[in-house]
Amino acid sequence: MKNRSNPSGPRHALLVVMMLSLFAAPVLGDELLIRITQGADAAIPISVVPFSESGQMPQGDKISRIVQSDLAMSGEFNPLAPEKMLSLPSEGSEVFFRDWRLLGQRYVLVGQVNSAGGTLQAQYELYDVSQEKRLVGATASAPVSASRSLAHHISDRVYEAITGVPGAFSTKLAYVTLERRADGSLYRLQVSDVDGKRARVRLESDEPILSPAWSPDAKKLAYVSFETGKPAIYVHELSSGERQRVADFQGLNSAPAWSDDGRSLLMTLSKDGNAEIYRMSLANGDLKRLTDHWSIDTEPAYDHTGEGFFFTSDRSGGPQVYHQASDSAGPRRITFGGRYNAAPRADSSGDYVYYVHQRAGAFHIARTHLETGTETVLTRTESDESPSISPNGRMLIYATESGGNSVLTVIAVDGGAAYSLPASRGDVRDPTWSPIVQ
Amino acid sequence: MIGHERDTGDKAQAPWKSPVALSVFLHGLILVVALAGWSWTSPDNPPPPSISARLVTLAEPEPSPVVDTVDEPDRDQQRQKAQEEEQRRQEQEAERRRQEEARAEEARQLQQQKEQERKEQAEAEREREQQRIREQQAAKEKAEAEAKERARQKAEAERREQEAARQAAEEKRRAEEEQRRQEEARKQREEQERLEAERKRKERERQLRESQLQALAQEAAEQREAEERRHQEAAAARARQAQMLAESEKYRALIRDRLMKAWYPPASATSEMSTTLQITLLPTGELASVTTVSGSGNTAFDNSAISAASSVGRYPVPEDQQLFEQYFRRFPIEFNPENMQ
Repeated sequence: MKNRSNPSGPRHALLVVMMLSLFAAPVLGDELLIRITQGADAAIPISVVPFSESGQMPQGDKISRIVQSDLAMSGEFNPLAPEKMLSLPSEGSEVFFRDWRLLGQRYVLVGQVNSAGGTLQAQYELYDVSQEKRLVGATASAPVSASRSLAHHISDRVYEAITGVPGAFSTKLAYVTLERRADGSLYRLQVSDVDGKRARVRLESDEPILSPAWSPDAKKLAYVSFETGKPAIYVHELSSGERQRVADFQGLNSAPAWSDDGRSLLMTLSKDGNAEIYRMSLANGDLKRLTDHWSIDTEPAYDHTGEGFFFTSDRSGGPQVYHQASDSAGPRRITFGGRYNAAPRADSSGDYVYYVHQRAGAFHIARTHLETGTETVLTRTESDESPSISPNGRMLIYATESGGNSVLTVIAVDGGAAYSLPASRGDVRDPTWSPIVQ
Repeated sequence: MIGHERDTGDKAQAPWKSPVALSVFLHGLILVVALAGWSWTSPDNPPPPSISARLVTLAEPEPSPVVDTVDEPDRDQQRQKAQEEEQRRQEQEAERRRQEEARAEEARQLQQQKEQERKEQAEAEREREQQRIREQQAAKEKAEAEAKERARQKAEAERREQEAARQAAEEKRRAEEEQRRQEEARKQREEQERLEAERKRKERERQLRESQLQALAQEAAEQREAEERRHQEAAAARARQAQMLAESEKYRALIRDRLMKAWYPPASATSEMSTTLQITLLPTGELASVTTVSGSGNTAFDNSAISAASSVGRYPVPEDQQLFEQYFRRFPIEFNPENMQ
């Protein structure tokens, strides 16, 4: 009726049809391409079915439980609680994909753990529920005492099979804790699993311990210790406990950073009257000054190339992140947002630099895209410091405050779900992620 | 002279007193007078303008010998009467003396005969001379006449020749004119024939062109009609397509939304990665198959895409079977994340 009452209706309809046909003409064909440019803004649903066990199991967390926690900590997975599972298969033949599909699961990990002769042997399989296809099927073993390592190993395999990125769950964390006691403060340099478990104190001191840094082979730590009453840089071999004081110059000795080959350290020295960046050869202690400015230049960190480095400088009036592409190249300012940007850390891809960013009186972890200069604040906590990137570039750990205490928090590098490590006594600071060691 | 001759005749009745001789004499006298003193009798006459004119004038007044011969017998008859009377008297006297003078007479007659013969000879000679002169004159006249005749004939011949030449020229001219006319006529005829042939050729061409144009017009009309039909069919098809496309777009959006929720881009995904899958559905929306058309080179990424496509239990598809068959029976899906590292 509307068209009949409006003489121009059919004409308009025809015009619309013609325009639609013109618009549609280029895409008309046998097929219409559907392009998906965004994924689910959620973690991947995965079911880590409790492994069936046989033999004497070690005390503590079960293997499957550790795997589940690892995957959850990454922020990229959303493990299904075992009590919500419809069945608890331990091998592929027992997996009914329809059930897992009904539960909205994308992946299912099943396995069996057998303990015999002091050795744990885990046989595990990872299935893609949608494709009803097995992605991983493997067996791994470890001493009973290293059951967590066995679990982290399985986590790494599962993570890599699904994401295509090597897992970093078998790596270590080094950090410094501060215990305030009546008779003074106690600083401990500790090394733990990435989930904070199996923490071991490597050094205790009444004086501050700062800026631990892993050697490329993950066998040594370099750090700053005030144990002599003034800052000095030490290289600590973890297996033997041997320590070497490599930098004990007058003035400031701080912020060591390992070169990719492990033969030299970047560090901040003020022996020449002003805080500057130097490179020290560990073989002979030779120094090469890399910056020369009246302002403070500190906190060096190698970039992904291993040739250039980021550092913090207040040459512009406040601490900002700069980049120097080589020993002789001039520094380039990277950060411009806010008056405080410090403690830079490079990622392995070379796309971003992460740093502590002050905004509205609060300190956050932020990153800047090196090509576009786009800055993104990643954390919502307000006293964030000491960011460190996981060796696979997917997670970031930093120190922050929670409940009056400082804690370590892991987030996905894109700001995904946060996972706080179990609190230890006192404050915890300066976390640093070890490299992946094959 | 005449009297003298009359006296002479009366006395002797000589031969020369014969009318013929007298006539000859008179004619010769006239001729002498005419030749010698003609100019005296006609002094007032203007001099002839030319010799030829004079010749004509001399020829005209010459008396005809026949006219003189007619006048002469009247006088001879009178004289003859007188002479006859005289002669009878004299004959009487003569008869008396004839004896006396018979011998003298005989001598004299002989003399006279001789004289007469001599005169006759002279006269004959003169006559022959006259005759010769006349003959010459006649010959001359004849020659002149003949010359004149020849001249006339020559002139006539020339005139005739000229006429003939003229006529020949005229004939030639006429012939040429005729030839030219014929040539012209031939040319005109040929031109007309050529024009006619040209006209016919043009006419044939025109007819051919018209027939071709007509055929073309017919063909164009048919094409227009066919085109119109095609347009109408295409418009209807496009309208149908547009309707179907608009309808399909709803389902495409639903499918896209499902896939976005089902896709978990892996940690290794970057915006440069792209995986295209080919989806085949059942009319109920259930997934019949999924195959990889082009992979990204990253197994985890490709798996994530396949897993996403496979995880959708039932794709939202239209109930319209034609729409389903056209757009949703089989279609490609590209997974290409944005804003990824």
